[in-house]
Amino acid sequence: MAGMRTRSGRTFSGPSRTTLARVDAIALELHHECTLLLGLYRTKESFSPELTVGNGRPMLSMPPPSSQLSTRDKLWRLYSALLQCRGLLVRAVTQEEEEFGGGEGGEYESQRKTVRDRLGHLLDSMRRLLEEVEGAPAITANTESIEQIDGPTSGGAFELKLWIYRIFSEVEHWSRMTTATLRSIPLVMSTAGGRRAGKRMRRGKPK
Amino acid sequence: MCFGRRNSNIKAALSLLSPADLLSQTDKLFLKHLTSSSMHHYLVVLLVLSLSSCQASGPPVAPQQVGLEADQDAQCLSITWGGPNAPHYDILIWRSEFMVTVFNETVEAKPDADGRFRWNWTSEEPLECTSLSVTVRARSADEISDWSRPEILAGMDVPSKAHAQMYPSSRVVKVGSNTTFCCIIAEGDSFGMISYHARDMDFTRLSRRSYATTRTNQGPSATSGTNVVCSNSKTIVTGAVMFVGYPPQPSDLLCETHDLRTAECQWSAGPDTHLTGIKRRTYYALNGRNCSLAGGMLCGLEEWEGSWTLEAWNQLGRARLTDSAEMSHRVRPLSALSLVATVIHPWNATLQWAWPNQTYASLSLICQVQLISHWHPSTQTFTGAGLDRAVLSGLQPDEEYRCRIRCGSQRNFWKWSGWSPYLTFTTSMDRPDAPDVWVWMDSNSTGRIIWKPLTKRESHGQLSSYEVTLWSSEENRQRSHVLPQRTHSQAFSLGSPAAGVRVTITATNAAGVSPPATLGIPDYLGDVEVSVSRAEASQAGFPLSWTPPDNTSCDYLLEWHNTSCSQPCALDWTRLPAGATNTTILSDTDWFQPGVRYTFSLYSCPSQHPTLHQRWEAYMQEQAPSRPSPHVSSNQQGSGVLLTWEEVLLEHQRGFLLGYRVYLANASRLSLIANITDPSQRNYTVTKLPVGSYKFTVKSYNSAGEDGGSPAFISLDPYTDWLILEILVALGTMACFLAVVTTLCYRKRKWVKTAFYPDIPEPSLPGDWSMPQGTLDLKPSPHSMVHILENPEWDSKEALVTVPEEEEEEGSAPADTDEPSALRYYNQVVDQGMPRQRPAHLPDSSASSGSSVDSARTDVTYTGIQASAPAPQPQPPTGGYRPQMHPASPPASPPASVEQEQVGAEGPFGGYKPQCSWKMESPEEGLAPSLGSPTSVTSVTSSQFLLPDPDHQVKGQTSWFHSLLSGKP
Repeated sequence: MAGMRTRSGRTFSGPSRTTLARVDAIALELHHECTLLLGLYRTKESFSPELTVGNGRPMLSMPPPSSQLSTRDKLWRLYSALLQCRGLLVRAVTQEEEEFGGGEGGEYESQRKTVRDRLGHLLDSMRRLLEEVEGAPAITANTESIEQIDGPTSGGAFELKLWIYRIFSEVEHWSRMTTATLRSIPLVMSTAGGRRAGKRMRRGKPK
Repeated sequence: MCFGRRNSNIKAALSLLSPADLLSQTDKLFLKHLTSSSMHHYLVVLLVLSLSSCQASGPPVAPQQVGLEADQDAQCLSITWGGPNAPHYDILIWRSEFMVTVFNETVEAKPDADGRFRWNWTSEEPLECTSLSVTVRARSADEISDWSRPEILAGMDVPSKAHAQMYPSSRVVKVGSNTTFCCIIAEGDSFGMISYHARDMDFTRLSRRSYATTRTNQGPSATSGTNVVCSNSKTIVTGAVMFVGYPPQPSDLLCETHDLRTAECQWSAGPDTHLTGIKRRTYYALNGRNCSLAGGMLCGLEEWEGSWTLEAWNQLGRARLTDSAEMSHRVRPLSALSLVATVIHPWNATLQWAWPNQTYASLSLICQVQLISHWHPSTQTFTGAGLDRAVLSGLQPDEEYRCRIRCGSQRNFWKWSGWSPYLTFTTSMDRPDAPDVWVWMDSNSTGRIIWKPLTKRESHGQLSSYEVTLWSSEENRQRSHVLPQRTHSQAFSLGSPAAGVRVTITATNAAGVSPPATLGIPDYLGDVEVSVSRAEASQAGFPLSWTPPDNTSCDYLLEWHNTSCSQPCALDWTRLPAGATNTTILSDTDWFQPGVRYTFSLYSCPSQHPTLHQRWEAYMQEQAPSRPSPHVSSNQQGSGVLLTWEEVLLEHQRGFLLGYRVYLANASRLSLIANITDPSQRNYTVTKLPVGSYKFTVKSYNSAGEDGGSPAFISLDPYTDWLILEILVALGTMACFLAVVTTLCYRKRKWVKTAFYPDIPEPSLPGDWSMPQGTLDLKPSPHSMVHILENPEWDSKEALVTVPEEEEEEGSAPADTDEPSALRYYNQVVDQGMPRQRPAHLPDSSASSGSSVDSARTDVTYTGIQASAPAPQPQPPTGGYRPQMHPASPPASPPASVEQEQVGAEGPFGGYKPQCSWKMESPEEGLAPSLGSPTSVTSVTSSQFLLPDPDHQVKGQTSWFHSLLSGKP
């Protein structure tokens, strides 16, 4: 791993092409799974897809994306957001089952479990990626910020549903942001992509 | 009364003010949107208040200290007031903001211990939806008090509650109930719609921010409830969740014991309540102790109490179930443990198991062992106190079995225990059964020994080999062959008669050798005519029956094979006991196929000397012949066609042939012309066919139908006899026609003559024409003479020269020319002797004569007659007549030259010869040219007149035709 110098002057080791590609693939898959989950939830709760919830404001308070951020900071921002998403998702599932029961194992519940597992997988991959970037030991998740996020405002069933809906939307949003951010790392991705494409072409060339 | 006056003042002021004056500035904006109905209610309230104020001048006193207590969940408003007792009270409730009356009735109320009156009112809308104002007045028999001071129950749409809300926010109701929802939008927000389970609802505006809708007959909701969503155009503003379901309805509570000490009760939850989640699910309690329901609808008690009560409840209701029983009647043992097979034999095995509870040792048990072999289950039952072992019988050697066991209380049987885990074991091997063997003879001395493979049930273990032995009693020697276990036939040849040969076969496995199977050799019947019966197949198979042979007590062997099979033929057989007279070969195997003929042969005494007793042929199911009759040929035979064809091959017949049908193909359809019901007849003659091309189709048929047909084309040639016959008929017809015409003409000859040859009227001549023969003293009429004499230049002789008939005949002019012969003659003369132009000096009579000659020969003839009759004598040059000089001698040269020579030799006037020489003429020659010609007739007639024949010879010779025409004999 070759060292990189950021605009701020810090030097860090770049992520391996393989790790980056794997994380990107998982994030893409998570985004797809989240889209499916949102669709299933809308159908289940008869929510019109044309109507927004909570004025479209994100639940997580994260620093705005900026081109000034280094690759490491960008990855850290994503990791932090996804970590909070997982905490919210776990809370949402718990409260949903407590309030409305469930456990029948329908398509919605299966998809919800898939998203939760996929999100955990993405977080693990992100952590390894950050370790490669930082060259530092494993990162410990900060769960304090997760608990500070408010739950349903009034404790009513409908507010709980809107809250769950917003959490699913939040996961979908941050999985999409993850894909976009990973692909915006030009040096690593273009090199990786170019090499991959070249390899494929050589392999595909008929003898 | 201050209150009353003050109240009166207020109402007076109200009555003077417009409704808009009473509202705040903000409300004024909404007043514009008030409906006429709202205005109407508002005015009614004001009017009532005004009237009441007018009457408040006297007693009774208005109710005081009106209080309001709201039960939000029940939507119930409890109204209390104090004051004097009155039999009735008027209660008026209206929505404060829009002043719409929602309740206005007279009620009865009695004071409580504190002297206060109370009346409860249930609102259709949740009480939070908007503020309500309440006022009360007393009413006696004929007096009404003033209205009390209005009390207001503040709604959640007041400005201090600025956020969006919906009421009821979450409620559990029964299926079929009605619920009114209200959506209170946030301050400054706009309202879009209210939807119930994604269905847009009609709504009513209750206040500036509050909108209400009612859902009737609500259906059961999903696990997470039914959403009621209030939204504006872009965002979900607020919402509520309705949980619509049923109260619990459990059933079938039953309690039992497994260990003869504790109790375990089970029940059925009943219909789905549609209510889930911690708050809404159904809870159970058995004899007052809560049930965890971890294992389903199951609850246990540490002691057998003998009677049990189950309570079930949720937010919509409560249900109760009871059960009671003695322990001995509710014993259900636990499943057996540690099932093992302790002893295993080829035909039996011993099982042993253990009980988890020692109390079963004294319990009388009944146990079932389920055995499964080759997916076929069977059950064996055992009983005994504390039963813990059993011997399984009826097993098969070298067989794998799976078994399990369950038990119950033998006395007061209640229920089976659960099945134990499966146990698998395999029985030991045993020696095989004797093979089932049969012989197929290919000739008198060769054949094949065939035996059926031993099944697993018959082999009792893996076979190692077969041993086949042929023993000849006459030769007193035997030949043995050991064959591998995969072989199931063995060819052989005989050196001695088959009757003395025995076949023996044994099978061998690891456990031993099977008993021998012995068989005699049947006679070869290939060249022998054997009577074959037809058997009718039934739904089940082939029922066959026979008469047993006399003096025989042997068993039978029934063999069958495909009748049209090729060598080596696939065989099957079955053995029948002695004395059997019928059997049915089942057709539900793969052996039998529809449309295939099978031969069944019944042999008696197969073990000693098999003898064919009876033979049948049958089809399991007949089908239409698969192929048509081959080689259909057609040959013309006279006016008919002989069709011949060959027999359909047996494998293509697919049924017993019933005959053939011969069709004549006409365009696109077939016309049946013959139905041959004898299948052995394979020709047919189609007779009496006209000449032409034909296409015949021959189809064989059986009971299932007919084949596709074989065509035969033929083009019939004309028949020679017919041609000759046609010619003869034509000739005969023509002859008949001619005969008829001739007869008719003969019979109608007068008419024919009249029609085609009318008589020429005789000229009426003066004087007597019947003078004697001789020289006639013919004197021309004065006019004629004058004419003749007065025209010396005109040679009348030349004009009247008679051309001999011979010459005329030989003339080059055709007989059928349009120009009459007399005219031709005349023209000839004129052309030769004189120019065509007529002399100008000719007298009128002469001119008329000449013109007559020109115009009509009849006139010419008459002129001639008239001119010649009076002067038959030869005349000096002055006469115009030119006699015939040589009528008898035929001319040797053409008439023209002859005429010229005669003229030249004898002169114009010489050579006259009396007409008596006519007798020299041949009648044919003389009459033929003139036959049918008026001129000739006239000429003849005139000649007769001129030269009557004394012998009448000419007349006699020529009169046959006249006689024919005149009808005279």
